[in-house]
Amino acid sequence: MAATLCCRLLPKAGWVPLTQSVRHGSKAVTRHKKPVHFQKQKLLAVTEYIPPTLSAPPAALAPRVKKTGEESSLAVMLRKDLENLFQEYKMIAVAQNNAISAEDMIHLKHRLKKHAINVKFFPNQVTRSFLNSSIYGNMSPLIFGETVLLASKEPKVKEMLQALRHNPQIVLLGACIENTLFSYQGILSYSKLPSIAIIRGELVSGLTMMTSKTVSMLHHHPAHLSALLQQYVKQQSSADTDKDASIQEAAA
Amino acid sequence: MFPVVKSVFLGIVRSSSQRDVLQKQMKLLSAGMRTYEIPPDFSDVELPEKPKLKFMEKVPNLKQAKKEMKRLRDIQGPSRTATKFSQGQYGILALGGGFLHWGHIEMMRLTINRSIDPSSMFAVWRFQPPHKPITRKSLGQRMGGGKGAIDHYVTPIKCGRLVLEMGGQLELVQVEAMLKQVAKKLPFPAKVVSRESLALMYKEHAERVSNNQNPWSFQKIVRSNMLGIRKVLSPLDVHNHGRYTGKFFDPSRV
Repeated sequence: MAATLCCRLLPKAGWVPLTQSVRHGSKAVTRHKKPVHFQKQKLLAVTEYIPPTLSAPPAALAPRVKKTGEESSLAVMLRKDLENLFQEYKMIAVAQNNAISAEDMIHLKHRLKKHAINVKFFPNQVTRSFLNSSIYGNMSPLIFGETVLLASKEPKVKEMLQALRHNPQIVLLGACIENTLFSYQGILSYSKLPSIAIIRGELVSGLTMMTSKTVSMLHHHPAHLSALLQQYVKQQSSADTDKDASIQEAAA
Repeated sequence: MFPVVKSVFLGIVRSSSQRDVLQKQMKLLSAGMRTYEIPPDFSDVELPEKPKLKFMEKVPNLKQAKKEMKRLRDIQGPSRTATKFSQGQYGILALGGGFLHWGHIEMMRLTINRSIDPSSMFAVWRFQPPHKPITRKSLGQRMGGGKGAIDHYVTPIKCGRLVLEMGGQLELVQVEAMLKQVAKKLPFPAKVVSRESLALMYKEHAERVSNNQNPWSFQKIVRSNMLGIRKVLSPLDVHNHGRYTGKFFDPSRV
């Protein structure tokens, strides 16, 4: 049975033509797409959607929104611990942890503990946020990846370097010693400096050398002193006679 | 820490194989806190009395069954009804036309009722039970003899219609896999949508219509009947701007 469309006048005269073609033919195809008339194919091709050309990629135009959620209580507590650490400890070194094993880490902790150096781990977000909001802001570039903090109340740089020599996985990056930032080379130079007690001893010994020499001279026998003085007078007189002789030769 | 230290020393004293075994136990523990997103609030969601999908009869309750012509316009073009969500949040949207018969409906009902949690979810149909008779001549019957006897009943579905809806105290990830399984078995292309994605789909189409850089749009040419193009088009093309070809749908056209 052929399906047909009936001709009839449509109400809106200006919208569609007054005549409509009658479709004679076979059934409407439903299982697959019917071959499209050539003119309809051309029409569909001509009227395809053309997207607008973007002046910039959409990711570049999107504003950067940084999600600032509420800080957790653990982060607040860790930040407080970190603040206390920076206040009480004079030496805080930053090292990078390159996949050290747990056993080596335990040995390292023991070796450092002998010299009262503590090994601390803090999340990088907490550390970076604390450093950026304090006077230690220039330490932020050191906090990256797996970070280890080595802290001691007294600056024991030599002992720390000796302990770290046995562990190549722990790479020392920098340190803050008595509120002064040091690079790795600075830390090496600092370790070669003598301690303040030695310097103070050297200064005191240098100052007391003069007075001790005078005292030792005074303790000698007076005859020795008079002999020295006579020797001194003779030297002076011989010098004068030599000068007079040279004057007479010049006059002659 | 001290037991670990003790085992470390014992491991050193013993052989190396023991140390290898012991080393697996050592773990460097550090404190952390996991942050969870707050789950959405479903306190204002009310579940209907019967949350499961209702059984649909194979045969409509007719006084006298009458044969009908095929009338393929029932599955052509876009749907005018059931294009928006009524009470659910997620559903299956038909992207083409087709006939749903009882097997499809039963497959959907069994799959969804098996996976649904009646205490927190519900599902509703968005179409009528099968009512359109399909005739078929029996096997071996000779040619002629008039129209065949009624074999089964189907429900015609047009493009853009929501087949079913799901809602309740749930999120899309809980039901997406199950709805995808259902959508794959339907006799027309279909996809899983939510209220947001459905609105986004319509919005994207409106944006494409507005920012189309082609000055010759299908609607413009056909409305003006340029070059007598209506001779090769059907009235449905004039109405639907060439997006529907019979029961098929081309979403990329504007």
